[in-house]
Amino acid sequence: METLVRVTDLSRRFGGHLALSEVNLCLDKGEVLGLLGPNGAGKTTCLRLLGGVLAPSSGRIEIGGIDLAQRPIEAKRHLGYLPERPPLYPELRVDEYLTFCARLHHLPRRRTAAAVEEAKARCGLEDSGRRLIAKLSKGFRQRLGIAQAILHSPRVLILDEPTEGLDPLQMRELRRLIRELARDCGLIFSSHLLPEVQAVCDRVAILHQGRIQFDTELAADQPANSWRIRLGPSANAGRLMDLPQVLGAAALGGDRYRIDLDAAASSADLAREIMQADLALYELVPERSDLERVFFDLIGVEDRA
Amino acid sequence: MIGAIAGREVRGGLVTPLPWVLLGLGQVALAWVFLQVIEDFSGLTADERVASLTQEMALNLFGLAAVIAMLAAPLLAMRMLSGEFRDGSFELIGAAPIRLGQVVTGKFLGLVALVTPLCLLPAANLMLLNGATAIDAGQVTAATLGLWLSAMMFCAIGLYASSLTAQPGASVLVAFGLLLLFSVVGRAESLAAESLSLFGWLSWNEHLLWFLLGAVRLSDLAYFILFTGLFLALTHRRLANRRLQ
Repeated sequence: METLVRVTDLSRRFGGHLALSEVNLCLDKGEVLGLLGPNGAGKTTCLRLLGGVLAPSSGRIEIGGIDLAQRPIEAKRHLGYLPERPPLYPELRVDEYLTFCARLHHLPRRRTAAAVEEAKARCGLEDSGRRLIAKLSKGFRQRLGIAQAILHSPRVLILDEPTEGLDPLQMRELRRLIRELARDCGLIFSSHLLPEVQAVCDRVAILHQGRIQFDTELAADQPANSWRIRLGPSANAGRLMDLPQVLGAAALGGDRYRIDLDAAASSADLAREIMQADLALYELVPERSDLERVFFDLIGVEDRA
Repeated sequence: MIGAIAGREVRGGLVTPLPWVLLGLGQVALAWVFLQVIEDFSGLTADERVASLTQEMALNLFGLAAVIAMLAAPLLAMRMLSGEFRDGSFELIGAAPIRLGQVVTGKFLGLVALVTPLCLLPAANLMLLNGATAIDAGQVTAATLGLWLSAMMFCAIGLYASSLTAQPGASVLVAFGLLLLFSVVGRAESLAAESLSLFGWLSWNEHLLWFLLGAVRLSDLAYFILFTGLFLALTHRRLANRRLQ
């Protein structure tokens, strides 16, 4: 597998504040990496460093094997970058803006018109070519920001919260677009939306307080049949393990337990068995997805209530 | 690449009202002075006239145009860097595979292109007298060149101020401050020893005066080019440092 981005010991300091510390990342061709983290975790700083807009305090970034600090011009040719705020010129029309972006990325003139049309079609901007950017709505501005990032068919795409301001339909379109683009490039994007990341990413990295706390591949399908229950205060929880369809039970504290069920069993079966075992069942809720649990566990705000 | 950036700046500038307002107000002020000079000049007898009409026009009309250019350049420059830092559109250029030198040159050329019509206004006004009286074309050309060179220097100072802050208003104030300093520094000459005319040399109006008198001196050319280059280099340095901050 071809490695497109390799980040080694990347740190970034703003005065006395360490925004990013010793970050190591790898991105292969065809891979979609989701960057998660609470506000102020360093996601945007990390992506700005990768986009070459900021210089790192220490560490090294290679894009397609080219050092971004030493040979920035060559490295940036492979990059498509959408910042947090789409970098638009309100006084230009959509077509003029995209043509300007094509020239900034050294796209040959004879290919410019075709590339602009393709980027517009991919982002649902076919009918907006003559519109003034100042008159575009927030969602359309975001689409235009994505269009400028994919215009020159970069090998590495860096998108900082691309779903911001998009309607649900457009979000689904973006998910499809990301999967389509990932066939021949590598993609890193940051988001607050856990389900979005889970739906589209092959790998996820969670940043917290400037450090990568978690970096793992997401399994395509997780046959999770986990439930969270609350029993009566005097219940003998030891009997949970004896129930026929229960594979495992873990105490979460406060009479709460996580139950892993047999794939064939349903919540109704579990409820029936608990009742038959004479345990008082107060609550039965589906367990949250793995990613969600990991996220909250890592940033230390797991609700115990 | 430089052309693309300059072209976008000109296009972006022309669709905003600012250059048109500056051009319109500039023309009103120049027309006022133009008529005043004509009236004063025609009211004098041949013996009372101390300078030719071209001379009078060059000193008054081009002198005023230089002051207008000095006010216009920072206003036009403010959106080029400062405004882009504020709106976040500079990230587009920051992430693109281009050199900062190309960015600075492109923006500077775009700015000069927007200021150039203002520099041609006094000459256009003088053309009205063509046929009515003899105009010294050489002197008008020299004065226009001097005006254009000083406008270039104002543009470079405006662009540098624009690179200092993400507040366009603050960048205009910084530019006005710098330009004011370069305007009045010549007055400090009387405070220093007579033989040391460094302060006089630093002041742009002393150099422009020679152009207005019709003399294109190498030292004056060097002054304008030197300071234009210096402020462009400072702008480049400033943009390079932004990545580190």
